[in-house]
Amino acid sequence: MKFDKIEIIDNKIEYENLLFYSFDSGSSLKIEHLMGYDAIIIDARDNDFARYIIKKIRTHYNPEFYLKPIFLINYKESKDPFLNYLHDGLVYSYDQIKDIAEVVKQIFFKTTQLDYQLIPSFEAQTMKKVLNYMYTRELRTLKPYVDLNSIIGYTFPEISVHFDDAEEAQVLEIFDWAEREGLIWPDFHERIYLCNQCSSGFLSYREVCPHCNSSNSKSEDLVHHFPCAFIGPISDFKNPIDNTLTCPKCNKGLRHIGVDYDKPSIIHHCNSCDNNFQDFFVKAKCISCTQDIEVQYLIPKSINVYKLTKKGRAAATNGFLSSGQEIEDIFGTINMATFKIMLHYELERIKANPSQKTSIAIINMENIFELYNKIGKKAEKKLLEDLVHMIRENINAADFIAFENSSTLYLGLMNADTMRAEQQLMHLSILIEKVIKTNFNGFDVKVLHKGKILHTHSKAEMQLQEITKDLFD
Amino acid sequence: MRFIDEFYNYATSVDAAKLFRMFWFFFIFEFFRFFLIEITTLILWKFTSFFRKTRIADARLTLLEKQPFVSVIVPGKNEGKHIYKLANSLKEQTYQNFELIIIDDGSDDQTPEICRSLKKSGFIDAYYRNEVRGGKASAANLGLRYSRGMYVIHLDADCSYDRDAIENILVPFYYDLNIGAIGGNVQVRNYKESLCATLQAIEYMDTISVGRIASSELGIYRVISGAFGAFKKEALDRLGGWDIGPGLDGDITVKIRKLGYKIHFEPSAVCQTSVPNTFKKLVKQRLRWDKSLIRFRLRKHRDVFFPNDSFRWSNFISFIENITYNLILNVKWYFYIADMCINFGSQLFFIIPLNILLYTANNILKFLVFSPFRDRKNESISYFMIYLPLMVFYFGYFLRIVRTTAYVQELFFKTSYKDTWNPAKSSAHAKALKL
Repeated sequence: MKFDKIEIIDNKIEYENLLFYSFDSGSSLKIEHLMGYDAIIIDARDNDFARYIIKKIRTHYNPEFYLKPIFLINYKESKDPFLNYLHDGLVYSYDQIKDIAEVVKQIFFKTTQLDYQLIPSFEAQTMKKVLNYMYTRELRTLKPYVDLNSIIGYTFPEISVHFDDAEEAQVLEIFDWAEREGLIWPDFHERIYLCNQCSSGFLSYREVCPHCNSSNSKSEDLVHHFPCAFIGPISDFKNPIDNTLTCPKCNKGLRHIGVDYDKPSIIHHCNSCDNNFQDFFVKAKCISCTQDIEVQYLIPKSINVYKLTKKGRAAATNGFLSSGQEIEDIFGTINMATFKIMLHYELERIKANPSQKTSIAIINMENIFELYNKIGKKAEKKLLEDLVHMIRENINAADFIAFENSSTLYLGLMNADTMRAEQQLMHLSILIEKVIKTNFNGFDVKVLHKGKILHTHSKAEMQLQEITKDLFD
Repeated sequence: MRFIDEFYNYATSVDAAKLFRMFWFFFIFEFFRFFLIEITTLILWKFTSFFRKTRIADARLTLLEKQPFVSVIVPGKNEGKHIYKLANSLKEQTYQNFELIIIDDGSDDQTPEICRSLKKSGFIDAYYRNEVRGGKASAANLGLRYSRGMYVIHLDADCSYDRDAIENILVPFYYDLNIGAIGGNVQVRNYKESLCATLQAIEYMDTISVGRIASSELGIYRVISGAFGAFKKEALDRLGGWDIGPGLDGDITVKIRKLGYKIHFEPSAVCQTSVPNTFKKLVKQRLRWDKSLIRFRLRKHRDVFFPNDSFRWSNFISFIENITYNLILNVKWYFYIADMCINFGSQLFFIIPLNILLYTANNILKFLVFSPFRDRKNESISYFMIYLPLMVFYFGYFLRIVRTTAYVQELFFKTSYKDTWNPAKSSAHAKALKL
């Protein structure tokens, strides 16, 4: 096919040194093969297909992928926020490539300014991806959109894309974290209530009997007959023959509301348990998990429009430091600062006693964030606790462990030369892979490790940097 | 000193005939009715109660075996502050097979919030609220309408109850199946709060704790106090519950009597209440109570005096006694005063102190003699003894004047229909229908 000067060959389009790939439902290209392309044009005639490709690209762990410019062609109006807000432009024909080339270049230029440092936690990792994306697209706010696919009823496309629809509540947790870190600040938009079991915002509010929780009830006016002080539900007064109202106590007909009778309140009768009551219980039935919840136990959440703070804007280019408090709390580990101090003392000890051999090691679980994405923050911490427990059982009591972040940890192995350290690390890597595979539906974690004997000719911190560099190179 | 000498000489010179002539009112009516008849009845009651012991024990056993479900209804407006204490005291009851129903008659304070919270935490079983105030009768009737018990116990929210009060008030239903309603023994809780409260405590001991034993035995017991009364549900259902007040306690008692049921007073079912602590509040309360004699005995239930299908001698005597000793003798007392002024005008200076002495002596005698018949004493006799001389003024003058005022207001002006105790919308109908 030929479009003026623009040629499309095997779905590839070249224009001014830019290489585009045109994705349609017939394309057989795997996402991983997009590495060499500068931008992607997705045929959006099939919304589901376009959504699938966008999600696949934007959630990729590699910035080369998730920041890639995406354009839609043959776009039809859609209510899907991912489709509407995660592309970089709409084109109506391939002729417009020359118009979007500038956009691609601009994004590419911005991409080169980003910082790609290792991120200490899942929240930070996710937020960093969002901040990078926002920086390259010059976005300043994260807006919520009503989305029936999202379990909470709202979606923030730039960040929600990293989660399944059922995990949307985790997005709010990440916002809370980012707010605490000073990266964003909230501007109230709406208040929602979530199921305390599954975090769903799809709730059916019902008035139920306080005795049996049934919503099968009948409501009636209470009628007070002034002359005889009789009071009862209106059905007590109804004459079945002529439908007039007659007092069952004094047999007088009720004539004029406010003059000889009034209706001081309403009474409800439960058809399930025969209970009479005036104050309904309001319960919320979760449409997602069918749990019946008293409204006071629902989880209130604010849906905000989030604006980037100065720190947030700078974080994309300069990187940011997070306390990583959650992983520092894990029993059996020490924090990185203490780790470095201990390593320093160990170095002094070796200097004094050169026959002693101590190794330092690094273990990195390369794709663990894919799993964290699915299991949520609590399960993530539990997994890390279990892994530390397991590692502790397989190393000496005097050895020490510190987390750099939730995917990387350092070990100080006492009385272990390089060979012994390597053996231990190999064993630990196999164990980690096995434990995660067994407990998380066959998830294959890629574990990288590197061990090195601690030598006395350079500082401990320097040696840590070296081993980290060696691992990732 | 000179007066004391002269008074002494005068008192010692008065012979029996002259004493009777001067105090005929006391000897013929008051001493006869309120001492001789009562003491005779009490002695007989005490004597026969020895033989009733087994029957009462059997009745208690039957009650505890059958465990009938009981509805405790507490109607009231702005009573929220009392409900927790009440509910808590009821949790201590020896008889527990009851439901506690609170009826809120259009409270405009924190009562709804308090009651809803107590219901949620299980202190009360049902809470019904009229958003618009309808009066105590309609509130009680709302409780009755939704009560599920075989017996209904009517309580006031500001009262507290002995641990066995509910059990004791139910026992007579199994002692005599013809009993339709039972009154509890209402005692004064705040008797140390003021002089006014102390005098009322002495009055309650006399007229309720002891006086109602006698009137119950004589079959003329006529008011089951709203503070503590138990009713057969079927009797209340037949009547359609309470009618418009004020005075609805006496009214429902009469209506149950008219159905042919016996009315019983149970001295061992003890309830403690707070009485008005100032004379101003007391006057307001008593004016309301006393007006009900005219409104209910003379007007609404005057059919009791006429032979008809529901005529009963006990009702007739109860009414005659009530009207005689409250209305007629109250009027006659003024004739007595006139008689004294006209015939003994020159001796009034001595007659009045003699009168006071006589009544005080009578009060002390009654107090001492009746005390052993009281179910229990809530303070040593000596505490009240020093107040007994004041009872002449309290009973003989203060309450008599209040009563007279009430009768005049009700007889000639029907002021009970204007009492804000009841909502005007109901009172207007009650007046039009002569209820």
